[in-house]
Amino acid sequence: MSRLFIEPFQAGYLQRALIEAVILGIVGGIVGVHVVLRRLEFMADALTHTVFPGMAAAFVLGGSLYVGALITGVASAVLLTLLTRNRRVTSDAALAVLLTGFFSIGVIIVSRSRTYTADLTTLLFGRVLAVDVAQIIATALTGLAVLVVLWALHKELVLRAFDPEATAALGYSVTTLDLVLNVLITLVVVSAVRAVGSVLVIALLVTPAAAAQLLVRRSVGAMMATAAVIGAVGGWLGLVVSYEGSIHHGWRLASGGTIVLVLTALFASVLAGTATVATLRRHGRRPGAAATTLEAAAS
Amino acid sequence: MSGLSATFSSPLMQRALLEAIMTGALAGVVGVHVVLRRLSFFTMSLTHATFPGLVIAELLGISLFTGTAVFGLVVVALIALLGRVRALDSSTATGVVLAGGFALGVVLISSQPGFTKDLTAFLVGSILTVQTSDLVITAVVGVAVVTVLAVLHKELVLGAFDPANLAALGYPVLLLDGALLVAIELTVVAAIPAVGTILAVALIVAPAATARLWTDRIGMSMVIASTVGALSGAVGLVVSNQWDIAAGPTIVVVVSTIFAVSLLVKGVSWPVGRQAAPRAASPVG
Repeated sequence: MSRLFIEPFQAGYLQRALIEAVILGIVGGIVGVHVVLRRLEFMADALTHTVFPGMAAAFVLGGSLYVGALITGVASAVLLTLLTRNRRVTSDAALAVLLTGFFSIGVIIVSRSRTYTADLTTLLFGRVLAVDVAQIIATALTGLAVLVVLWALHKELVLRAFDPEATAALGYSVTTLDLVLNVLITLVVVSAVRAVGSVLVIALLVTPAAAAQLLVRRSVGAMMATAAVIGAVGGWLGLVVSYEGSIHHGWRLASGGTIVLVLTALFASVLAGTATVATLRRHGRRPGAAATTLEAAAS
Repeated sequence: MSGLSATFSSPLMQRALLEAIMTGALAGVVGVHVVLRRLSFFTMSLTHATFPGLVIAELLGISLFTGTAVFGLVVVALIALLGRVRALDSSTATGVVLAGGFALGVVLISSQPGFTKDLTAFLVGSILTVQTSDLVITAVVGVAVVTVLAVLHKELVLGAFDPANLAALGYPVLLLDGALLVAIELTVVAAIPAVGTILAVALIVAPAATARLWTDRIGMSMVIASTVGALSGAVGLVVSNQWDIAAGPTIVVVVSTIFAVSLLVKGVSWPVGRQAAPRAASPVG
C-alpha cells in the first residue's frame, strides 16, 4: 500500500503537484458547494473559458498569466452580470455567447504566435507536474483569501442561495452578494487554470460538490467539509493513478485529466452507494415510509 | 469584388464556404429551440462530452461522425438520467458529465501520439480542410433535422411553453423531448469535425439569441437565425482569409459581434423608457 500511495511523492515535482492539487481540491470543493446550490455550473464553465484571452495575451506579450487571466475573468464576471439584466436574453444564452466570443478572441491571439498548437494545449490543459513553489504560494494565498471571504459572508451567501427575497428584505444587496460570489469563483478559476488547465477547472468546482450534495443534506457547512475532502482525495488519487499508469504500466495518462476521471469515479460511486442504500431501506419498510427514507439515505 | 471572387476560386475555400453556410443555417434553426428551452449548457456539455467518441473512432478507424454520434447518444442518456436523481439539479448533472466526458477524451488521447494536433482541431475546428464527405454528412443531417423539426414544429413549441398542456393533449412528451435532444445532438456532431466544439456552440446559440431580440415569432426567429448563421460563416471566412487569422474563431467573433450590435440596438433596457419594466426581487438568476 505504502509503495502505491507514498512512493510517487518522493520526487520533488510530484510533491509540488500533490500540494497544488490538494489545495485546489479543498478550495474548489468548498466554493463548488455555492456553485451547485446556486446552479452556477454554466457560469463557472463560462469563466474557465473567458479567462483564456487574458492568458493568451499575457502569454504573447510575456506578462504574468495570472494577471492576464484575472483581468479578463473579472471583466467577464461584470459583463455577465450586465448581460443577464436583459429580459429578452436568457442568462444561459448570454453565457454561451460570451463564452464562445471570449474564447475565440483568445484562440485568435495565440494563433498569431508560431508555436500555436503547443501553446494552446498548455493553456487549455495546464501542467500540474510543472508547478513551482511560487505558483503554490500564489494558489495558497488566493485560496486562503477566498475561504476567508466565504467564511465571513457565509450566512448572507447561504441565505441568498435559498431565499433571495428575504435577503433583500433584510437589507442586503443581492446584486453585491452575487458579484462577490462570481469574483470568488473567478479567483478559484484563475488560480486553478495553470495547474489543471482552463477546460478541466469545471470538474474541481462541480464534481466534488455534487457528490457532497448526494451524501450530506444536513447543513451547507457539512456539505463544504465533505466536498473539500472529496476534492483533496481526488487530487491525490488522480496523481497516484497517473503516476502508476505512466511509470509501472506504460500508459501515458495526462495528470490533469486523470484527476478529473478519479473525481468522476468518486461521484459515480457515491451515486451508486446512495441509490443502493435508498433502495434497500425502501424495501425494508412499509411503502408509506419510502419518501422519508429516501431523504434519510441522502443525508 | 474581384478580391472576393479570387478568395473563393480555390476548391478548398469553396468547400469551406459551403460548409460554413450549411452549418450556420442548420445551427440557426436548431438554435431557436435551444434558446427557447434554455439548453445552451446542455449543448456546451454535449460538444465537450462527445470528445471521447472522436478519439475512440480514430483509434478504431471508423468514421468520426459515427463515433461521436453514437457516443453522443450515450451522453444525452447520461445527462437525462442523472438529471432525474432527486438530490441533483439538472445543471449539476450536466456539469459533471461535461467534465468527466471531456477528461476521458483527454486521457485517452494523451496515451496516443499526435496529441496536440488532434485536440486543437477538435476545439477550434479546421474548416479549411473540410472534405466532400463532411459536406455530404452536414447536408444529410441538415435535411433530416430540419424535416423532423418542421413536422413536429407545433408539438415542440407547445412543449417548450406548456409541457403540462402537451401531456394533457395526449402527446408523448418524453418522446418529443428526446427527439429534440437527438436533433441537437446530431447537429452538434455533424458540425464538430469541420468547425470544432466552440464554434458549434456559438453557431447554435448566438444567431438564435440575436433573432430573439428582433422578433417574438418562432418561425420568423428560425428564418433570421439561419440567415445570421449562414452570413456569419461567409463573412468570417472572408475576414479570416484577408487578415490570415484562424477561420473558426473569426466566424465566432463575427457572430458575437452581430449579437452585440443587435443587443445595443434592440435589447438594452435603458433606464428611462418603455422597456424599463420593474424586475423581480432577484436581479440575477
